[in-house]
Amino acid sequence: MSRNSAAALREIGRNPLLRVLVDVAGFLILVAALGALLAHNTAALGYRWQWHRVPRYILTVRDGQLHAGPLLLGLGVTVRIVAVSLGVSIAVALATALLRLSQSTVGQALARVYLEAIRNTPLLVQLFFTYFVVAPIVGLDGWTSAVIALSLFEGAYASEIIRGGIVSLPAGQWEAAYSLGLGRRDALRFIILPQALRRILPPLVGQGVSLIKDSALVSTIAIYDLTMRGQVIVAQSFLAFEIWFSVAVIYLVITITLSALVAVMRRRLVGSYEH
Amino acid sequence: MSISSHHDAIITVSGISKTFPNGVRALDDVSVSIARQEVLVVIGPSGSGKSTFLRCLNGLETVDRGTIVVDGIPLDHDRSNRLEIRKEVGMVFQQFNLFPHMTVGENIDLAQRRVRGTSAADARTVSLELLAKVGLEERVDSYPARLSGGQQQRVAIARALALRPKVMLFDEATSALDPEMIGEVLDVMRALAAEGMTMVVVTHEMGFAREVGDRAVFIDEGRFVELASAQRLFDAPREDRTRAFLSKVL
Repeated sequence: MSRNSAAALREIGRNPLLRVLVDVAGFLILVAALGALLAHNTAALGYRWQWHRVPRYILTVRDGQLHAGPLLLGLGVTVRIVAVSLGVSIAVALATALLRLSQSTVGQALARVYLEAIRNTPLLVQLFFTYFVVAPIVGLDGWTSAVIALSLFEGAYASEIIRGGIVSLPAGQWEAAYSLGLGRRDALRFIILPQALRRILPPLVGQGVSLIKDSALVSTIAIYDLTMRGQVIVAQSFLAFEIWFSVAVIYLVITITLSALVAVMRRRLVGSYEH
Repeated sequence: MSISSHHDAIITVSGISKTFPNGVRALDDVSVSIARQEVLVVIGPSGSGKSTFLRCLNGLETVDRGTIVVDGIPLDHDRSNRLEIRKEVGMVFQQFNLFPHMTVGENIDLAQRRVRGTSAADARTVSLELLAKVGLEERVDSYPARLSGGQQQRVAIARALALRPKVMLFDEATSALDPEMIGEVLDVMRALAAEGMTMVVVTHEMGFAREVGDRAVFIDEGRFVELASAQRLFDAPREDRTRAFLSKVL
């Protein structure tokens, strides 16, 4: 008996198709068990799943016309905040990286202070500080405060990614550029940054994904982004499980879309020259 | 010490010294003047200061003391002087240092377009001319990674010639090459010398150095130990240290 089963196991190990089947079957059993557990527990809670009430929060038909529901409206706000913050944070990041690599002692010190301040305090506190302290003084609205706080936060991390990409290039590339009579700016623009881009793009996309996720915090300063809309709907409809599940899936869709877009762009932009 | 008289010198180096931050004394009170159309070869053990000397000549390294004048322009802290000198001085590196994200043609176009403001079409005409000179015209649209080491170094020489410099610096241009590719690069250098290009050549190729060099200098521990006509230095070195070095490498 045991000899037979040992032989059967060896057979499975050798046959690639069988190995995949066993692997998938194991996974399905695990999912089924978790599903059963979930169903049992929600039943015990007395939760009634009402998925049919969710679509109207995404799209609604009024007067024979299709209108965006609150979740889509919230997604629009999130996307706009993320898009603007992404642009600003990359500009901030590049400036900070170049300051840190510059000869200027003051520039280096400023960049250093900014980095340490941002990286050693919570984003939520930075957001509140911008919105409740800085904004009233200089007269910013909530939306601008959100963009500034997010940009400064992500920019700090992105600047270290950019700086890392720049210093990882061989010194010979700078020297070749200088020996040809190019100045520092031209060397950066034509030689260093195009090559660094190839190295920094993957971690930079990771930072972009963080930005999308971190943008959910702007719901705390009364901005009607995706998360805030979810909160409001849940408060009105008590569809907590369905709505938070949907909100999570929407975030997942946009982060994965961003990663895929950049993967395509990267192949087209910089994929060719090493072959 | 110098054979050439001062008035036709294109590079005048007076008493330069350089100590690296780690305390290594790379150059110690070095003086030389290099005549137009002269080929000066620089030999010496590794770490002797040969490369540092060469890199000082176009300002890739700064000196602690002494002066360098190239074609009448002092190489000092003035940025525009430094850029002006780099237009006059081409440099070829041991590791080629081609720009890997640009084609061969773009590598050679770049300085013409950014430094001289040449139009794209005119720059490309010059680039093709220079590529023909190093025998690589048909590789104008290749990326450097597709070329052999010898081909890459020939492209690097073409690139260094793009601004029509008056002086060419070679920093161990063949040291990173497989043996079978050294010849093609030395041939290009030989042809340049025959055209009358002023050259400063740091090299380990002693046969080539003796053949192409007008003068040769042996550097050790940052000092010019012996400077003489190439023939004399290789055939009848006067200093013990030169003799000891040559007996090891020849």
